[in-house]
Amino acid sequence: MWESPDPKKGYDVIIVGGGGHGLGTAYYLAKEHGFKNIAVIEKGWLGGGNTGRNTTIIRSNYLWNESAHLYDHSVKLWENLSEDLNFNMMFSQRGVMNLAHNEHDIKEMKRRISANRLNGLDTKWLDAKEIKELVPIMNTENLRYPVLGAAFQPRGGVARHDAVAWGYALRSNEMGVDIIQNCEVKSIKTDNYKVEGVETSKGLIKASKVAIVASGHTSVLAQTAGVRLPLQSRPLQALVSEPIKPVINTVVMSNAVHAYVSQSDKGELVIGAGTDGYNSFTQRGGYDVIEETVRAIVELYPIFGKMKMLRQWGGIVDICPDASPIISKCEVKGLYFNCGWGTGGFKATPGSANVFAHTIAKDEPHKINEAFNLERFSDGRLIDEHGAAAVAH
Amino acid sequence: MILINCPYCGEREQSEFTNGGEAHVVRPKDPDSLSDKEWGQYVFFRSNPKGIFYERWVHTHGCKKWFNAVRDTSTDTILKIYKLSDRRPEISEFQTTLKSPSGEPIVGSGNFAVKK
Amino acid sequence: MSSIENSNCNYITNKKIKIFFDGKSYDAFEGDTIASALIRNKIKLIGRSFKYHRPRGIYTCGIEEPNALVQILNEHNEPNTRATIKRVYDGINISSQNRWPSLAFDVGSINNLLSPIFSAGFYYKTFMGPRGFWKKIYEPLIRRTAGLGKPPNNFRSKSIHQNHNVDILIVGGGLSGLIAARKLIDTNYDVLLVEQDSYLGGILKNSNKVDSIDGKKTTDWINETEKLILKSNNIKILKNTLVTSYNFTNHLIALEDKFVGKKIDLDKSELILHKIRTTNTILANGHIERFISFRNNDLPGVMLASSFEKYIHRYGVVPEKNPVIFTNNSSTFSLVKSLIQQRCKPLAYIDARKKEDIEDELKDYLKNHDIQFFPEAEVEGCQGNKEVEKVRIRTNNSIISINSSMLCISGGLNPDIHLFTQSKGLVKWDEKIITFKPNTAFQNTITLGSVSGNYNFHKIFEEVEEKLSFLNINKYVAKIEINVEDDYSITELWETKNDKKSNWSKSFIDLHNDVTTKDLTQAIDEGYDRIEHLKRYTTNSMGTDQGKISSINSLGIVSKLLNKKISEIGTTTYRPPYAPLSFAAIAGRSTYEFYDPERKTPIHNWHVKNHAVFEDVGQWKRPWYYKKHEDETMHQAVQRESKQTRKTAGILDGSTLGKIEIKGKDALEFMNLMYTNAFTKMRPMTSRYALMLGEDGMIMDDGIICKISDKHFIATTTSSGAPKVLAHMEEFLQTEWPHLQVYLNSITEQFTTFNISGPKTREIISQIFTEIDFSNEKFPFMTFKSFNYKNTQVRIMRASFTGELGYEIYISPEHALELWETIFKHGKEFNLVPYGTETMHLLRAEKGYVVIGQETDGTVTPVDINFNWMIGKNKKDFIGKRSLKRSDTAREDRKQLVGVVPLDKSQLIDEGQHIVECENLPKQIKTPIEYLGHISSSYYSPNLNHCISMAMIKGGNKLIGKTLFVSTPSGIKNIPVEIVKPIFIDPENKRLIS
Repeated sequence: MWESPDPKKGYDVIIVGGGGHGLGTAYYLAKEHGFKNIAVIEKGWLGGGNTGRNTTIIRSNYLWNESAHLYDHSVKLWENLSEDLNFNMMFSQRGVMNLAHNEHDIKEMKRRISANRLNGLDTKWLDAKEIKELVPIMNTENLRYPVLGAAFQPRGGVARHDAVAWGYALRSNEMGVDIIQNCEVKSIKTDNYKVEGVETSKGLIKASKVAIVASGHTSVLAQTAGVRLPLQSRPLQALVSEPIKPVINTVVMSNAVHAYVSQSDKGELVIGAGTDGYNSFTQRGGYDVIEETVRAIVELYPIFGKMKMLRQWGGIVDICPDASPIISKCEVKGLYFNCGWGTGGFKATPGSANVFAHTIAKDEPHKINEAFNLERFSDGRLIDEHGAAAVAH
Repeated sequence: MILINCPYCGEREQSEFTNGGEAHVVRPKDPDSLSDKEWGQYVFFRSNPKGIFYERWVHTHGCKKWFNAVRDTSTDTILKIYKLSDRRPEISEFQTTLKSPSGEPIVGSGNFAVKK
Repeated sequence: MSSIENSNCNYITNKKIKIFFDGKSYDAFEGDTIASALIRNKIKLIGRSFKYHRPRGIYTCGIEEPNALVQILNEHNEPNTRATIKRVYDGINISSQNRWPSLAFDVGSINNLLSPIFSAGFYYKTFMGPRGFWKKIYEPLIRRTAGLGKPPNNFRSKSIHQNHNVDILIVGGGLSGLIAARKLIDTNYDVLLVEQDSYLGGILKNSNKVDSIDGKKTTDWINETEKLILKSNNIKILKNTLVTSYNFTNHLIALEDKFVGKKIDLDKSELILHKIRTTNTILANGHIERFISFRNNDLPGVMLASSFEKYIHRYGVVPEKNPVIFTNNSSTFSLVKSLIQQRCKPLAYIDARKKEDIEDELKDYLKNHDIQFFPEAEVEGCQGNKEVEKVRIRTNNSIISINSSMLCISGGLNPDIHLFTQSKGLVKWDEKIITFKPNTAFQNTITLGSVSGNYNFHKIFEEVEEKLSFLNINKYVAKIEINVEDDYSITELWETKNDKKSNWSKSFIDLHNDVTTKDLTQAIDEGYDRIEHLKRYTTNSMGTDQGKISSINSLGIVSKLLNKKISEIGTTTYRPPYAPLSFAAIAGRSTYEFYDPERKTPIHNWHVKNHAVFEDVGQWKRPWYYKKHEDETMHQAVQRESKQTRKTAGILDGSTLGKIEIKGKDALEFMNLMYTNAFTKMRPMTSRYALMLGEDGMIMDDGIICKISDKHFIATTTSSGAPKVLAHMEEFLQTEWPHLQVYLNSITEQFTTFNISGPKTREIISQIFTEIDFSNEKFPFMTFKSFNYKNTQVRIMRASFTGELGYEIYISPEHALELWETIFKHGKEFNLVPYGTETMHLLRAEKGYVVIGQETDGTVTPVDINFNWMIGKNKKDFIGKRSLKRSDTAREDRKQLVGVVPLDKSQLIDEGQHIVECENLPKQIKTPIEYLGHISSSYYSPNLNHCISMAMIKGGNKLIGKTLFVSTPSGIKNIPVEIVKPIFIDPENKRLIS
């Protein structure tokens, strides 16, 4: 288990944010780049942010090459993560299905499947009959927007969210990473466009490299270093049902009737809702969003009409204008950002952490995250995953 | 769901409205004179404060009129609603519930039912 | 089953009914819950536990129940129903859960003996290696054993939503809620009182703690109060309604069960979900008793003391005549009195408090009634096979064993702070009552009675009067006489010392999720010492009861283990809903046929009659193609429709296209800013194809703009883009250019639109609109005319999306069908054919016209689709103009629109496939294959007799004439194609402008 030490006076690298991405970054910095003096600073408790609040869907079937390469780098790491960390991630490759409800969905998905295939991914098209075989409880015909088919990625699936944070924390701590919880970073200290450290609730901690992986709060922190990021923080909600015996053996996502669902190893249906349309840091979204989601769920799965919502909760997601993340340096030397994951960051945890560690260690991006820079918002080279990537989760 | 007091229709549920992001961002008068970076700042970059936020709303399922609001994003409390033609209220007019620079309010946000 | 044991109980009728439990029939009384009925029938074993499949019984008498979850077979097999809440009716068919093959003999209970591998965090540490075992063996195994109840059956609910706007909401119709209500009778406030039970009274009906109010028996006082409330004009009562969620701005959700104790009538709304907006919320939702951890504290026969007492008063059944009582506080005294009233007697009373702290009144009472009394003692554990047989008491360092089949326990009372913390209120640890209680409210929330930590019932009136003093309340004064001394006193006790250790013996902290106190210890030893980590690592208090009777206990145990104060540890987050909330009720009536409106054009019924197959386009139902005869396939239909249109004429119902009217002094300037095109030099009564960009320079929508004058334009939009375009225009008009005098109006529904095209169209419509000269000279391409036709205004525009001679006819909806039929009458001699969206797409592809959302995907500029000519270069500004000059956007090798034709003309190209430079693909693609772009549209052209495609490819303009390859959905061999200009028919526009 990880220790909870008091912070030292200074570190080589400070990572702000003790979620999966931050802890993973520390792990790869220590393991692959030989850094010895690293601290991860977390405001609350490890994995208490979006790592512990998401619906744990993992897939890589994104449209654009840049995204497909990044997310598939991640899926490949997921596939060996339990062994790598000697901690069971419960990575369950039960497949992820994106439903098509109209002709436009079909065209978009077939394009994506073809692009995925050329990128070496395993996405395939399922017709309504094949969907019904995989998910017999789904109502494919008698609903307002019938299910016409689906893009299906068998290598996709779900994992145990807490395990990711804990596994990375355990192993990076073993390699000497200081994991400091209940320590709030108040500002980033810079001098003449160069990072000097962070001011925290436990005092000033010095470092020549500071990496911000604070999801919804990233732009708030960036502001303290005078850096503007194109992020907006929005509520994102999810809910679970009471546990029942297994009924749904894969992950099903739908864009047109906005809902996605999988069943946990405890038997709960894990259901994701959409983001609210306004900025908020309250970890509480509108009830209407829950209602919308449940409406779609009951429509798609008539048996769920007799089931009950056990818990609902919200997180704060940082959304980028092109629905793609930023994994980048900035104009302040030694300051790095890994943010803008919007609603879909969990799946990228190991991949993002891995390339981010590279970026911090070498002070230049890894080939995989080169395109996910900040300049794209000036030169126009966006990686627009809105229209084409269906639900961006 | 929060309530929003439309200056033209009165108090309605938030789901009747659409948020338009940060308020008081003026479209550049002469876009051609801007650098790519400056133009990019206008198109893609908006403030995202935790705390007092000047924002725009439109009553989509109502009068379809745009108006401005000042809201504390750390508690979702709406502090002021004003018409587009009204003067921008000074930030000093508002009592902030913020406790620390990064914006943890005393009540209303975060994960903790017990504050230490 | 005998008669009702407590004859004073007014809530159960003497009417006997039959219920079925696990296939066997039992008698019950009308008014019983499943639990009270089973208790009446001396059934103790109700279910099996989640992980270890241990035998479990009824633990509580309410919503907090962690064990007694059952399946209702005759209600669509509804799983996880709380037996302590669900009221029975004649013929209800109930089954126990999570057991196989039977409740008494459950094979899964072997897990209990294997428990070392199921300890805290077992998921993460076990079931790992050897490699591959997780995926193939462990994971399927774990998943098979998951869950509690079995899946329900398909169910179509008729539940509805109801909205309330009130000044004051009172949550809970117990003592403090009713006093608050009485203080509000005939005041100026609109008040809603919500009670979860079918009867008001709360603690007054569930116990004998209070003797009388205002000198009246409590039942009389409740009845009087209810009558007064019903008579008042300002207070409404909702019974059988549970408040589950407390959202921002005093928005609360409550669920009402309309069929309590009745068989559900499927034609009626069985549930009503109330959405309540209130200015002030009064939380008077009481407290929940907590348990104590000791060895085998889960055995059937262990029950919370207040629940036991509630069964006597509320359901008229005494679960056991001679139970053992184990407590650490003063609240259990009333249970002893209740039992004595029933001429029963506890076998023993075990009180963990120090002798001197125990009330004299209690001590005397126990002595006078000759009840064995063990002060400063605790229960070490229980023993028994499937139920409690023996209770072992530790007193003065020795163990005394008492044979008893029931043990009532009380570990103290917790204010039910769930809703309060949902509202984002903050709680505070109270050392005196050893629990969390509300501290700072975040919203307009008042807590009254035991939820505020006030357990002294005789002082409730004073509390209500004080806390409601800010309102204009009436002068009512309640005089409360209590039955038992109620100055609450408690000693801290979370877990008793465990003497006997065996694999079977367990001391539980979470009954629902089978978490033991040992699991907590182990998790802390492993370092999971943050309460949220501990919760997640052990799954403590994450079950369907959300740890209502145990979560504070776990904090107590953890505080001892960590040697910290509980207030330092803090609570975990309470998340809505308070109790599991029906999905059907949340969804309400906006499902099935009401899920989303179907928008239909005025011609819809004609399309149906003429065998149209429809396509969903946004909310619209659009004819996709028309089946000429039953066996005609879509392909055949589309080929037929396309051919006929080019041969003579075809007509499309284009009513779904968005139409926006732009009027005002500054309309011209506004249009010049919104669209890429320049409208200044455009002549009145002409029209123009136009593009709208986002500020990022990417194509957002297209349409035809009709200029009536500089002050009046009409714009069409794509069918699904209409609301977005209008909103976009309004936004800029109101927020950026408020000085422009322009008014926007959606007229999509005001005009029905037909697109008629083909070489014979002029002949057809000339016969109808006889006064109009349709000649090319008088009515050239991209002009329009407005005129009166049969007393309605008609506008006809010469435009075409097929490349043929074409007209768009706009007419008011009420005259539309008549005109449509007239056109067909006149078109008959030319074999005029109706065509749908698929043919429309094919015809425009032959002509090389793009479809927004098909050729474009939010990353395409006008330049990319060769529409440079549409950009008003001399305009100083328009939305998106500046973005076109950004370094990446201005690149010359961006993806550009091209045409694609297979070299082998018989081959078909699939939409969405990619253009590559290689002839073949490897069987398994390991390293990414570079591609140039994708096929955006592809059709078999009946007019050219080969496949035509459009594609967006990198540097496409320079690749015209080159041979490249297109992938297939799964094949290795790619299709060789020629890249051509994206126009296949009539490049000279002869047909268009003739």
